[in-house]
Amino acid sequence: MVDFLQALVDGVMLGATYSLLGLGFTLIFGVLRRLNLAFGPTILVGIYAGSHVGLAWPGALWAVVAATVVAAILCGIYVERCSFRALARQAPVVSMISTFAVWMQLQELVSLFEASRTMPYPSPAWLPALTVGPILLRSDALLMWSGATAIMLALFVLLYRTRFGTAVRAVADSSEAAALMGVNVSIIGAAAFLLASTVGGLAGVLIAQSQQQVTPYFGLWATVKGLTAMLLGGAGSLPGAVAGGVILGVVETQTLWHFGGQWRDLASFALLFLVIALSPRARSEPTL
Amino acid sequence: MLEVRDVVTSYGMIQALRGVSLTAREGEVTCILGPNGAGKTTLLYTIAGILRPRSGSITFEGRELAGTSAPDVVGRGISLVPENRLVFPHMTVRENLFAGAYVRLGRDRAGVEADLDAMFARFPILKQRAGQAAGTLSGGEQQMLAVARALMARPRLLMMDEPSLGLAPLVVEQIFQIVQGLNREGITVLLVEQNARLALSIAHHAYLLEQGRIAFHGTPSEVSANEGISRAYLGIKGG
Amino acid sequence: MSDYAVSLLVRIGVEAFVALSAYLLLVIGRVSFGQQAFFVIGGYAAGIATALYGAPLAVGIMVGAVAAGVAGALLSAVMAPVGGIYFAAGSLAFGELVRVALLSFHYQVPVGADLTGPAGADGFRGVRALFTGGVSATAFMLAVAGLVALTFLAIALLLRSRWGEAMRMVGEDETASASLGVRVRRVAALTMAGAGALAGLGGGLFVHYVTYIEPGHSDVMLGVHSLAYAFIGGLGTPLGPIIGVALDIGLLESFRFLAGYRMIVFGGLVMGLLVVRPRGLLDEVAVHRLSRLVAWGRR
Repeated sequence: MVDFLQALVDGVMLGATYSLLGLGFTLIFGVLRRLNLAFGPTILVGIYAGSHVGLAWPGALWAVVAATVVAAILCGIYVERCSFRALARQAPVVSMISTFAVWMQLQELVSLFEASRTMPYPSPAWLPALTVGPILLRSDALLMWSGATAIMLALFVLLYRTRFGTAVRAVADSSEAAALMGVNVSIIGAAAFLLASTVGGLAGVLIAQSQQQVTPYFGLWATVKGLTAMLLGGAGSLPGAVAGGVILGVVETQTLWHFGGQWRDLASFALLFLVIALSPRARSEPTL
Repeated sequence: MLEVRDVVTSYGMIQALRGVSLTAREGEVTCILGPNGAGKTTLLYTIAGILRPRSGSITFEGRELAGTSAPDVVGRGISLVPENRLVFPHMTVRENLFAGAYVRLGRDRAGVEADLDAMFARFPILKQRAGQAAGTLSGGEQQMLAVARALMARPRLLMMDEPSLGLAPLVVEQIFQIVQGLNREGITVLLVEQNARLALSIAHHAYLLEQGRIAFHGTPSEVSANEGISRAYLGIKGG
Repeated sequence: MSDYAVSLLVRIGVEAFVALSAYLLLVIGRVSFGQQAFFVIGGYAAGIATALYGAPLAVGIMVGAVAAGVAGALLSAVMAPVGGIYFAAGSLAFGELVRVALLSFHYQVPVGADLTGPAGADGFRGVRALFTGGVSATAFMLAVAGLVALTFLAIALLLRSRWGEAMRMVGEDETASASLGVRVRRVAALTMAGAGALAGLGGGLFVHYVTYIEPGHSDVMLGVHSLAYAFIGGLGTPLGPIIGVALDIGLLESFRFLAGYRMIVFGGLVMGLLVVRPRGLLDEVAVHRLSRLVAWGRR
């Protein structure tokens, strides 16, 4: 029983970061109706930038966070300009293809700047671990979870309690109707992108500090996790992405505890397949 | 209040509007009649800033409007109730109304809240459904929501594109009574309608749009007196 | 012909199969990020056939293609009715699934004095049938080129046939196609099987040329590149993806100064082209114009 609870707690904490990734994808897909496959790679560039800053200025954690987020945002702007704005009049699939061309570019960019492939990422040393009864909450996992939850709360306040948030949700629901209400749809689209990049960068910080290292594989990893979280919750739904992330985290850690490491990834892919096989939305999706 | 002069709007090579001129006088209900494909929606979209005219001018309250972007047109005091309602399906009725006041949300939050209550008082059925997702409402309720939502921006000119489309006759009567009531309170209405009889019953002036051009205009009695038109659009034999 | 040129041409040929595999799915309107999985399945199956069971080279490669085709058919049981981003995400996940599964795939059989076979994360080495069979690299390269040409012809003919018509209809609008009597599910399943077989064919050729294959070869970048080749070369004809491959591997690879920057340049090319020609260099309009020119010239 304790095992199960520990895995459950670990899963919820891990799932919070998956939720963030899912939210990043959902913000762009929901508002712009196009899939941004460069999202994971932009975070990858961010965490490598953070890693470099961490090596150059040991102890300056705020600089590391800033570097990660700023780099992710800059890459996000690049994607928005070149793959979305420039192709706004084309079919949605064209933007998606352009984003995977950016993926290629960012992946190569990272490998160009690296002496070794895996680099260290700093994490705060002063964090306590908590014990609640028999359940251990590791300090890095705790930071990951509390950080992700705080970001999600801030995001939801922004989206449900501000004028800007109303505009974003309106465009996501019906961009035509939103235009009639006086919403500047293209500016809201760019803003949603910026928001997604910021959330992604922060997610990158939280994940990297928990793993204490960054690898080039992170780009693909974040893409698969984020997409799974988004689709689990129903593509385009923000609360759904949060739920999807938590479900994914729980399934992964339960599998890890009971069956071991090699089954963990298999379980998350199987979950994605299950969703695709059973979801009625998957079948009604128009072909591109 | 609204002057449209020789407006030409095209879709690529196809000229949808070939030099349309009309006037919507302040405080009046002006209706635009015509067959399908005549360009009625194109005209409203051009005024609303969603389409850019090739040539011609549109003046609203003395200032040029043509070429203004859609968000700015709403800011100038013109709201459009679109042809297919276009409610925000996943948002509640209340959120829809809120979104309608988008242009005012920054500076007049209290006023928006007050208007929300007023809207619920005017449309009790919307109050009943306040927390329901707009996509689940019936056609008539959605039409009412679309009108109420457009009113939340406190427009001086309300444009409506085929409000009777797809609605039961009783519901249509209700909608038109509401529109007439709004007009009596001082809102100028520009109404595009296929149901010519109903439109003429509340209009002060009518325009007939055929193949991108104004073929005829006059008061409702002038329109019914015209034999050709009344036979084609009113189903009446003789004047 | 220099060794380098030969190996370049083999690479182009091998990747052309994966690009054509992605292209077939694009015709029915599905974007797949997972064709690299079939590439690898074909490679492992072909390698097992020749290195572990002594099958002749041609048979081994055939086995690889068939195995990958079967895998495609099996996947279609889940994915055939799916479209849009769900298909894209699912295919991406499938590519990774295969890679992870292969990390645990151990199947070793004594051949002669040693154990040979897939060794999990260490991959599958010792697939030497090409070299022990006395086939020269140049001869292999010509065989690959011949296969690519044959495949191109087969696909071109397929797309002109009634089948191809059905495929294009499904790609345009599934609902409309279904209402006109097209068996959408069946078209999707068969196309996925065929696309899988094509990628697997490439994998079988690859494993014999480089003598080894590993889970890491199910690399998402291979899948992403295959799609990019189809889009840059043009969606109007199966020649498009082949041209795309040649452009990247042939042209860009030969510019030495581009060494570490090839993906950046290629990515930039794709992005730029999408702005002006979203359906590639040889898009349907260009193909139509070219074929009319040819017809006029024949008169």
